[in-house]
Amino acid sequence: MVTTLTAAPAETDGGDRKLLGAPARAVRKLTRSSRTTPGRLTIISITLAVLAVITGVTGALSVQQKQDTITDLAEHREPLAAAAQQIYRSLSDADATAASAFLSGGTEPEELRSRYEINVAQAGAALAKASSDIGGIPEAEQQVNRLAQQLPVYTGLVETARANNRQGFPAGAAYLREASGLMQNKILPAAEKLYVIDVDRLAAEQDDATDLPWIPLALTVLLLGGLIAAQVYLRRRTNRVFNIGLVIATVAVVVSLAWGAVAVLVESTRIDDSRGEGSQPVDLLVRARIDALKARTNETLTLVARGSGESYEQDFVRLSKSFSGDGNLLQRGKGMGGGAMTNQVDQATKNADAWLAVHRKIRELDVKGGYDDAVKLAVGQAPDGAAVVFGRLDANLNTAITEGRKSFSEATSQGSNALTLLAPGLAVLALVAAAGITLGIRERLREYR
Amino acid sequence: MTTMDSRKWTKRAGAVLAAALVLAVPACSSGGEVVDLAVVTSVERPEPVRKGTPPAPGKPAPQCDPKASLRPSSSYSPGNFPAGSTMDQIYKRGHLIAGVDQNTYLFGFRDARTGAIVGFDIDMVNAVAKAIFGTVEGKVVYRAISSADRVPLLKNREVDIVVRTMTMNCDRWSEINFSSEYYTAVQKVLVDRSNPATGMEGLGGKPVCANTGSTSLKRIKDHPSKPVAVEVDNWSDCLVLLQQGQVAAVSTDDVILAGMVAQDPNLKMIGAQLGDEPYGIGIPQPAQDMTKFVNAVLDKVRSDGTWMASYNSWLGRTGQTAQMPQPKYKD
Repeated sequence: MVTTLTAAPAETDGGDRKLLGAPARAVRKLTRSSRTTPGRLTIISITLAVLAVITGVTGALSVQQKQDTITDLAEHREPLAAAAQQIYRSLSDADATAASAFLSGGTEPEELRSRYEINVAQAGAALAKASSDIGGIPEAEQQVNRLAQQLPVYTGLVETARANNRQGFPAGAAYLREASGLMQNKILPAAEKLYVIDVDRLAAEQDDATDLPWIPLALTVLLLGGLIAAQVYLRRRTNRVFNIGLVIATVAVVVSLAWGAVAVLVESTRIDDSRGEGSQPVDLLVRARIDALKARTNETLTLVARGSGESYEQDFVRLSKSFSGDGNLLQRGKGMGGGAMTNQVDQATKNADAWLAVHRKIRELDVKGGYDDAVKLAVGQAPDGAAVVFGRLDANLNTAITEGRKSFSEATSQGSNALTLLAPGLAVLALVAAAGITLGIRERLREYR
Repeated sequence: MTTMDSRKWTKRAGAVLAAALVLAVPACSSGGEVVDLAVVTSVERPEPVRKGTPPAPGKPAPQCDPKASLRPSSSYSPGNFPAGSTMDQIYKRGHLIAGVDQNTYLFGFRDARTGAIVGFDIDMVNAVAKAIFGTVEGKVVYRAISSADRVPLLKNREVDIVVRTMTMNCDRWSEINFSSEYYTAVQKVLVDRSNPATGMEGLGGKPVCANTGSTSLKRIKDHPSKPVAVEVDNWSDCLVLLQQGQVAAVSTDDVILAGMVAQDPNLKMIGAQLGDEPYGIGIPQPAQDMTKFVNAVLDKVRSDGTWMASYNSWLGRTGQTAQMPQPKYKD
């Protein structure tokens, strides 16, 4: 980093001095020579050649910048949003799993224990990734700090609950309640905020990648106009229809304009697709999945609260609107992605409805005195039980999200491919144009000697 | 951060590099200073959901004899109740709805192995259910409720009875009925073994935990040594706060505290008795017939050895002496 910083300015300093000093010294000379045709031709030649080089450099730089943006989209922004989503999902699932294990009674089932452990490890790993790139956003840093500080506290409480539960002490349930309260009220909101920040950053960078490069475009049009004007002027002065150098320069500029326009058009279309078929439906599905996880936790907590869990049940009903009923998130995301995603979302919708049916049965059993059967139906591993049906829904959503991410990365890499060789191409074409201008006008100047 | 930004600048336009260099210089030349990237000076401690401090005390309690209930009715055989009576309605519904505790060790708590709610209070619920249905199996909906919910749920008739270490007092008598007394507890103070305090007197200004809506909470607030009352929903939440060092003491009925000592031998009960806590079964006020019926059930529970057996299986281990309360009636 230090080398770029110290080496680069030295060059630019020199360049700057030349650039800034040249007009000052040449003003008198210019006004004098602009009165003669050869003088004018020299001025035109220099101006156009410099304009060609500037246009080439600006064009190449802005294409390079676009390509960097796309690379960043594919390599940082999207994976980061996915990591933030992963933190939320894992933690939410860990909390629901801990509550399920508690409800199961006795020694917790092996599969629930290992699911909890994997969730916590997964959340920790995703958190490490998410914290590596918070982009100097204080709000993101706040969330990462909160997550990093509270996650160990949460796991400590869960382990204390476990130790008490194994001895049959009701303090275990109290520790679990405290842990769950911490998760629901502090940790998960932080994870959700982090996800929203990352998705916003992703969208902002997609905007950058689809912006029209106005400055190089304007410069190219100006250059083209200048070239045409110069040729009209030359034709009037010399009575020759074509000047080979200027024609070559014009062709080079037209080619770079056409190439650049087509490439940028294709690129921004593909980036738009990466949004419309990728990141946007993924965001909808992620939100549906988050709400489904929250609802599942509420379903379990209603049973843990045993009779005083009305607020959890109300939350369940509110959250279920995200994945069932008119205008739910699944419906909205369904048509946006490819066939594979649509297929998964269809299955997810079916499983969501099946889960809601099981949920109604659980509630009915619970209020009518069948608490034990309700618990069995909610956390047992029976194929028509809520745990299994919800597991299928979650798996559908996971696959659909992965499909959406695939569409995103395909469209993004196609967008990037559209810009292949464009930056060096523009630079070379600019040099060709500059050379054409210089040589073409020098040929005419020779005739005045 | 400055160097990161300036790097972007170089890419965008060489002309502004000079400015970027100026920005970059301070980042490169921080000499001799210790840089701490993550400074943490305080930690947010986890807390039970709905922890709070209670509002100021309300109006003074009305005068009455809190232990006096209604004289028992003649006993009915299960299922043969006068038509339209509360018991008949419960019988026809098919299950008894009982407001209980699932967090108070030995009285009403969830057995972590089986997931069933058990304890001394639950034995009383089951005795009532057995007298109505002839059996307990599948006939009781245990509704775990908080201390504060006991009276409102009875008034709304969302539960048939509440058996949840509920102190009989005149305030509550004005809103609900109580059965005859089924257990006599006294309020005491629980602290960590290392705590030098010898009673509530030594806890002035210290946080002391009790349940929202409990009589214990009121006694803490009214104590002349002015401890700071901290309220939570469940007794086991108080135990958690005490174990985490977030409160200095828990003050409530001796048997509840004995249940906490049984879960954590590093705790001790201290001080003199702060007051009598007669436990009664809460019943909605309009259900006078139910009150009399429950009193008949309790009479039987006391006389046929059920009370003693239940005491021995739950409370015997705490080392408290069994004192079976004698019923008092106002009519």
